[in-house]
Amino acid sequence: MPTADPGVRVSVDPRLVARTRDHLAAFLRALHDAGLSVPATKQRDFHAGIEAVAPSTTGQLYWVGVATIVTSESGHPVFDEVFRRFFGSPEDAVLVVDEPAEAPEEQDGDDDEEEQGSAPAGDEVEDLLVTETSGSGLRAGLGSPELPKRFGRTSASAHAVMREIAAELPRAVPRARSRRHRPGRRRHRVDLRAVYLESRRTQGEIVRLRWRHRPTQPRRVLVLIDVSGSMKQHSPDHLRFAHTVLATCSGAEVFTFGTRLTRVTAALRHRDVDEALDSLAPLVLDADGGTLIGESLTELLADPHVVTMARGALVLVLSDGLERGDCTAMVGAVGRLSRLAHQLTWWSPLACDPAYRPLTRGMAAVVGDLDALAGVRDLETALAQVRSSFSHAPAHHPRRRNHD
Amino acid sequence: MLIDHATLDRQLTERRYLADEGLLTAVRLAVALGRPLLLEGEPGVGKTQVSHVLADVLGRELVRLQCYEGIDVSQALYEWDYPKQLLSLRAAEVTGAVVADLYDDAFLLERPLLKTLRSPTGAVLLIDEIDRADSEFEAFLLEFLDGFQITIPEMGTVTATVPPVVVLTSNRTRELHDALKRRCLYHWIPFPEPERERAIVEAQAPGLSARSAEQLVRSVNVIRALGPAKRPGIAESIAWAQGSVALAEDGTAWGEALRASLGLLVKNEEDVELVGAHDHEVFTDADG
Repeated sequence: MPTADPGVRVSVDPRLVARTRDHLAAFLRALHDAGLSVPATKQRDFHAGIEAVAPSTTGQLYWVGVATIVTSESGHPVFDEVFRRFFGSPEDAVLVVDEPAEAPEEQDGDDDEEEQGSAPAGDEVEDLLVTETSGSGLRAGLGSPELPKRFGRTSASAHAVMREIAAELPRAVPRARSRRHRPGRRRHRVDLRAVYLESRRTQGEIVRLRWRHRPTQPRRVLVLIDVSGSMKQHSPDHLRFAHTVLATCSGAEVFTFGTRLTRVTAALRHRDVDEALDSLAPLVLDADGGTLIGESLTELLADPHVVTMARGALVLVLSDGLERGDCTAMVGAVGRLSRLAHQLTWWSPLACDPAYRPLTRGMAAVVGDLDALAGVRDLETALAQVRSSFSHAPAHHPRRRNHD
Repeated sequence: MLIDHATLDRQLTERRYLADEGLLTAVRLAVALGRPLLLEGEPGVGKTQVSHVLADVLGRELVRLQCYEGIDVSQALYEWDYPKQLLSLRAAEVTGAVVADLYDDAFLLERPLLKTLRSPTGAVLLIDEIDRADSEFEAFLLEFLDGFQITIPEMGTVTATVPPVVVLTSNRTRELHDALKRRCLYHWIPFPEPERERAIVEAQAPGLSARSAEQLVRSVNVIRALGPAKRPGIAESIAWAQGSVALAEDGTAWGEALRASLGLLVKNEEDVELVGAHDHEVFTDADG
């Protein structure tokens, strides 16, 4: 194996060594203060890396730091900022950015708020504002008030319905076979290990066969809640329903969308539903604003975490489907979501009306991709749908075949 | 033992793997410090290939553990050959012979992790797509990665004769546990800048002229900028280049060869339609 020639040791002023050590310690503390966790093992690796590489340029030191300290792509910006502060710009480090030369594009990362492709988010949406909706709920728009929204308190009767939903959910959520085999009575595969161990007590005579099987487990649940102006009166109850789902189903995820996509899973995990809803105020800034369903769902599907999450999951979309303008993005995203999901169910408050037909351009185009289209406007109607195992479809709805 | 930077760069280049400064540093440190190296990046950027060329450079055996949902210890570490044990037990009973030790090497099925530990010259262990495995398996790996040793109850503790060089890859389809990340060196492999990608494609597709390589890489970058459902990686660029070269050598015009072999680059209907809608933009140089 090729190795570096051991360099000749040069005697260094001990005061310089001490100052360097202090500087490195301060650098590691600054990383910690900036929010990048650097546990003791990582600090040790960093020092060992410096010992091993003996960096002679800022660039070399930068790459040693990146390899030994950073543990995810999202940690890079924090590391870069603190590194520049302490050591200057790593000019001879080739900072490779995931961008084509002519057409810059954001690198997909962990942050749910990151932009992807053409999906507008954050400040970009401001350029798209056309008209501010009145919040009447009669029209979908593109504007967003960008104000914290309070979703109100939960009544005692709502609490009671939520408890009922929680009791029904485990039975209602579709199940899938686990990939792992467990010992059990169902005769799926002979448990050779158990058979062998038992036969040792009878001189190799197999008296009884033992079995292993793949037990079932509930599928993941992905809830997507439309918080635009046209859904204003339904959003609070939909969020309460999502809170119940998170409390009941392990591994569930919840996103809201209006003019942008927001992951609200962590905020909604708070034990108390009102506390959870209050914590959404600074997060969901597009509540009661416009609707960009297609762009929001496209952004959602650009995240590989979510694609993995949606694969084989029960996906619930709580929206009236009133998409403004071109519906191409919405149709494409719903189509892909339906191909990923085990079951794609759409709950629209409009469908509570028996005379409802999905005739708007967006809904008419996506209805064939749905497993169920049902009317849900509050917790009571949500409970009814949970009791029907999320699969109630109106007579006019062309049910597609479920797939795994 | 630290590999010299220039030497490693040259040896990887000789094997047609062009690494950037950050990856070279990460690999050198992984070997020098004996720490696992976690490589993340989008599919097709060369994460898996690193371990192949590294094994070749170090002259070590490459042991690959492909992760998947539901993988467990018996598929990764070792398993006893129960049918063989049963047959031996029955044979001994029939012949009246003394039952042999049913827990010796003859009945042990080596899986990748045990094979790695027992490699006499040390191995490069590739734990591929760790994000596909579940949390239970990840937790088990922590123990293995900590001391490169495992305990087989019937045989005792097996420790690596020569500590392996471990490379883990992840497509980030789920977040790995901090406990695992803490034990690893980390490097994110991004899409390369066009100049490096052109060099990679040229190295991997013999017969491709510099100008054609430049056109092809430009087209790839235009397609990535269009925001397809799946952005093509370097592996796809290489496959596209190789396919186009094969067709061009058969007399097809370069622009047509690129279009005809587009299926090597984009692999779903929506993306094919997207490229078709921007045909002029994507193939503007190639038709020249």
